[in-house]
Amino acid sequence: MLPSELLAVWKRKGDIWPRYARATEDSLEVANSLINAYKDHVGEKKSVLKAFASELEDKGYEYRFVRGLAYLLDRKGTFKCNEGINPVELRRRIFQATEELGLATTPERRRRIVETVASELKVRSETVDEFLYADLDSELVLEEFEPLAPDELLKEYNLSLTQTLLFDSTELNFTASGNWQRIFYAVKRLGLIYEVYKDGRFWVKIDGPASLFKLTRRYGTATAKLLPTIIANPEWTVEAKILWRYTNEICRFKLEGWKHRAMLKSPQQPKVSYDSAVEQDFAEQFQGLKTGWQLKREPEPVPAGKQVIIPDFSLEKESVKVYMEIVGFWTLEYLLRKMEKLKKVEANMLVAVNENLACEKLANLEKNAQLNIIYYHDKIPLAPVLRYLEGAFQTVQTRQTGLLKSLSVIFTEPFVNYEEFAARIGVSTEAVKEALTEKPPEGYTAMSDGLVRRDKLEQIRRKIEEQLGPTGRLPLPDAIRIIESEGVADATKSLEALGYKINWHGINAEEAEVAKL
Amino acid sequence: MIRLCFNKGTILLRGEVGTPYGKWDPRVECYRIKAMHYWDALAYLKESKLAFQDDVPNLPPIQQLNSTVELRPYQKEALDRWRHANMRGILILPTAAGKTYVALKAIGLLRTQTFIVVPTLDLIDQWRKRVAEHLNTEAGAVGGGENTVRMITVSTYDSAYLQAETLGNKFMLIVFDEVHHLASPSYMQIAEMYIAPYRMGLTATYERSDERHSLLPRLVGDPVYTVGVEELAGEHLSPYTYEKMFVELTPDEQRAYDDEMATFRLYLREKGIVLRSAEDFQKFIMVTGRDHRAREALLARNRALKIALNSDAKLGLLGRQLEANRNEKTLIFTLHNDLVYTISRRFLIPAITYQTPREERREILENFRKGEYKAVVTSQVLDEGVDVPDASAGYILSGTGSTREYIQRLGRILRKVEGKRAKLVEFVSKETVEVGISRRRRHKKATED
Repeated sequence: MLPSELLAVWKRKGDIWPRYARATEDSLEVANSLINAYKDHVGEKKSVLKAFASELEDKGYEYRFVRGLAYLLDRKGTFKCNEGINPVELRRRIFQATEELGLATTPERRRRIVETVASELKVRSETVDEFLYADLDSELVLEEFEPLAPDELLKEYNLSLTQTLLFDSTELNFTASGNWQRIFYAVKRLGLIYEVYKDGRFWVKIDGPASLFKLTRRYGTATAKLLPTIIANPEWTVEAKILWRYTNEICRFKLEGWKHRAMLKSPQQPKVSYDSAVEQDFAEQFQGLKTGWQLKREPEPVPAGKQVIIPDFSLEKESVKVYMEIVGFWTLEYLLRKMEKLKKVEANMLVAVNENLACEKLANLEKNAQLNIIYYHDKIPLAPVLRYLEGAFQTVQTRQTGLLKSLSVIFTEPFVNYEEFAARIGVSTEAVKEALTEKPPEGYTAMSDGLVRRDKLEQIRRKIEEQLGPTGRLPLPDAIRIIESEGVADATKSLEALGYKINWHGINAEEAEVAKL
Repeated sequence: MIRLCFNKGTILLRGEVGTPYGKWDPRVECYRIKAMHYWDALAYLKESKLAFQDDVPNLPPIQQLNSTVELRPYQKEALDRWRHANMRGILILPTAAGKTYVALKAIGLLRTQTFIVVPTLDLIDQWRKRVAEHLNTEAGAVGGGENTVRMITVSTYDSAYLQAETLGNKFMLIVFDEVHHLASPSYMQIAEMYIAPYRMGLTATYERSDERHSLLPRLVGDPVYTVGVEELAGEHLSPYTYEKMFVELTPDEQRAYDDEMATFRLYLREKGIVLRSAEDFQKFIMVTGRDHRAREALLARNRALKIALNSDAKLGLLGRQLEANRNEKTLIFTLHNDLVYTISRRFLIPAITYQTPREERREILENFRKGEYKAVVTSQVLDEGVDVPDASAGYILSGTGSTREYIQRLGRILRKVEGKRAKLVEFVSKETVEVGISRRRRHKKATED
């Protein structure tokens, strides 16, 4: 982030953008020469570096750009006061000597004062002059410098410019592809307030408590600090309202990942880390089990009214999704508040509660049977989790089956694949299969993988009849070929439905024959 | 159950009820009230005979106070007016009229959690010292690296603004020193985000050129007492003489000055720019961000002013004056830090700028007060509110002349010695008359935060 006087922008018809540094030959040249200057001037005063920067300005490079880069480079170096004499102590001595000898209104008297102090400290007079204000910012000496590549510096500059512009923001809207737990944690830590809404994508609006009462830049700094966490994602879009300080007009600012990512320094996407060993342990154990449930860490937030819940895990099987939250320290109030939030969510939530860290008696909790709770000590037991998951799956499936049964779906296509149909309407395959097998729709026959329209079966029957020949038998492979050529996968079931049987001669399907019952 | 709680500088009202003072916040689905309206909302709930739980105030423990403040008659009257105005309002008293004592007396009477908001770190030190001396208790401080909250806590405007989220519910009385600062768009949020029902504003310069002082009554209370310099001069304030001394630039300086100014004027003439007001100048500054030549012109002008300001002739004159008046306690004021250090190095006089370490600054002021240091050179950091140890001579090294208000402000920190009037001398460079611009800039500075 830069001092606001170094912020350069473009403004047009209510839109505003920072004047980003493009990686042109010129810009890279400025960045490179500044980096080299810092590298070459280790051991010298800050004022020397400042002089170098103003030389670049004199050459006609935009001064805010040059100073902005220098500002960032200052932060990559360590500046220190030259060691030897403590300037504060030196000044004290000088001023005391001045009191005794009189103000240095003549060169003669000045020399006498300096010499007096120099001899006290057993140093030369020049040393006194040199150290008198050695602790002033411009006199500090560059001790160490951590160089970086010119294009990296430009990217960092662009990120800083963006953040500096956001100092003046009154509101920020964004969407991102992940990193949610970190984003919302940062929102909370920075004292901001969010609202979520769907506009095709999952959007978050950010401002602060007092934004309710007036348009304020108060939360601009916090918003600027949030930016790196948002753009640490592969995909994101950021839109802000900027209350431009010089004209007091509201401007729009928009930044998109696909377009701007390449020129902004992107903070490292942190690896998925676990809040606790308990979580990690659970995830590893669960994944080792091959249960058919997909475990996902940091799933996307679950909207609950205008707020969100960010569960620790989601567990998903077919269309059934269960969220899981692991609670360390807890109080009844905390869990009830959570519950209150969960009421607004159409989702299954399983809460694992640490029995050892209970701040209240468990008995209090048992009274509130609305929560799906699993107790644990050091480790989350897998059996009750799986029991809950299967229960949830069954419940959902039963509910879905019931729903499907009550619906009279009218099919027209010759084949209806259970799995495809389930995916289309968002229920589990099992539920579809159960509902449709039990009571197939008019004009359809239920197979193991889907429904087949009767007239399609009749077509198959006719083709098989034609091939049966005088013996009334047909090799099984031929029958299968006919059936499959009509697009039906389940040959066995089809033959059965058409009133054929299969005569096996040994275990070889090649030798089996199809015959009428 | 209805519940009131403090939430980051605002009040949340939970439960199925609103007040005329709050606003429905859909983001959190309950009513939100400005902290400043907390007591109104509270009164409303009580009047409505609604059962509620109030978790808002989080006050530090009360400490024993032993108030030894004696007020002068006009100070007493100021305090009485404030008390009659329900302990809200602004007192307008000239510098050195002892505004601090009125506030200390009020604190001693109310004996409640008090937040004192001041413009500078120096003033934090000064107020803490006064609290220790006159109320016999230790005050906490927020700002300048410190963060201790006590029954009486002193803070800068900056920290009070930045930390309103956590400090807003900790005080009952809030004293705004130099209250004209509070009217700026950001600082006014301090008044809005703190619950303190009792509020006192102190200032010598109530009116702001941007008219924003009209916002203050809503935030702090009306001006309840005003006394001018004229009424107090002689009796409680020291009179002083003011003199202007003109200096000629050395021939080299004059040449360089003329060249730079010519560049500047040429640009203005070419573009047909007329700089008549602070707004004109602001606009010109904005142009310099886009136009390279405009920036060149601005820099030329700045270099010219710097020559006038740092003129060798001026330093020579200062040397002669210092020598001639060597027994006077002397303060030297400059516009720029660079010049402060030039003078400090040349005459070996202690310097105070924003860069001076806090400890050293304290020590220099203390030694000056005790008379161990005869002279101090400083930029503008001391020109407001700070109780500078009394001096009998003041030198202003301005570029081209200062405003009357500015002179008066500096003059008021002088004291007469042995029946002799204190004197204030301003050095002005001849033949470098860009008075307008210089005055406008200072004018603008004075109205900024």
